[in-house]
Amino acid sequence: MHEWSLALSLVQTLDKWALERQVQIRRVVLSVPSPSQLDIAVLKEAFDTLKRESRLEKAALEVKVVTPRYRCRACGYEFGQEEVDPQIKKLMGDYGEEYPLHLIPELLPTFVRCPRCGSHDIEAELSIKVEEVETI
Amino acid sequence: MRPLLELARERLRGRRVIAVMSGKGGVGKSVVAAMLALNKPGAALVDLDLSGMAVPKLFGVVGRLHEVSKDGIEPLVAGGLKLFSLGGVVGDRYVLLPGYGQAGAVEALLAFAKLDGAEAVVVDMPPGMGEELLALGRAADFTPVVVTTPSKAAVGVVRHLIDYLAEMRKKPAAIVLNMAYVECGGAKVYPFGRGDGATELAQRHGIPLHEVPIDPELENYVGRIYEYKGPVAQALRQLADKL
Repeated sequence: MHEWSLALSLVQTLDKWALERQVQIRRVVLSVPSPSQLDIAVLKEAFDTLKRESRLEKAALEVKVVTPRYRCRACGYEFGQEEVDPQIKKLMGDYGEEYPLHLIPELLPTFVRCPRCGSHDIEAELSIKVEEVETI
Repeated sequence: MRPLLELARERLRGRRVIAVMSGKGGVGKSVVAAMLALNKPGAALVDLDLSGMAVPKLFGVVGRLHEVSKDGIEPLVAGGLKLFSLGGVVGDRYVLLPGYGQAGAVEALLAFAKLDGAEAVVVDMPPGMGEELLALGRAADFTPVVVTTPSKAAVGVVRHLIDYLAEMRKKPAAIVLNMAYVECGGAKVYPFGRGDGATELAQRHGIPLHEVPIDPELENYVGRIYEYKGPVAQALRQLADKL
């Protein structure tokens, strides 16, 4: 369900942006971090529904699911998603549909610990960003 | 471009944002924020104290999670007031975040909070001056209400916050001198002194000072604060009317 509110934020923000510049939008590239576990098909469906009668009416949404690299600021250990996945899996099991990183991926350090030293002081690129906008 | 920050700005545009803050912890910010929101018609309460999350505790909604609908997160409702808190996302557990995580959490909460119908948004800020304060400043033009106690230790810390706000040209609507006095036989007794430091600070910056009493009974209303009608509520209702 959160995919819809995310799509709405995207359409509203870009529609306003396009209106200010008097342009139409042709293509949008959105990057989302993989721990958010967003359903890309639902996100695109929501985008295609919500873009009607806006300056994104002809826009195609491209979603890049970014697998972050992690660094522990306490011990310096750098690690990949494969070392985080067991913790993510447990978190999804604990919360079910209310999985908190779905709504706010930046909450990851609250739930994930460094595989080497156990610290929560973890650095990663976890924000949802518009990377490119092509206009007409 | 960060769509959530843009959406947060959009959600808050046209609404009065009253940010209850203090440089110091433990001065009663959450109670002040709760009472102001309860006494301001058409207000919603947003808890940005990401680690403290006192709002769910005060309103008895600990462990309840926000429902997520197609256009955002639904409020938790207690005592007729719409509440939004990270506690409604993570449940009853601790939150520990580096700065970028705090920024993301603040922006997402503000972006997705369904504030429909709320003319005013009262924000319960965390103690200190950190990422949440910067993040709120990015999302909205807010009116600060600064809380202190008569303690010199508290006023000393609050002074730094007020200096910062002055630099940002955000003049507080009030300094709340919390736990200022006890009513005893019709007289006011000031157990911690008269709060001269707070008075001097308020005068120097031309900010109204608003005294709020101590009421030990308030503790019995933690979990159902919306039922409390005692002297703390009365004092803060007067402030809410002025904001």
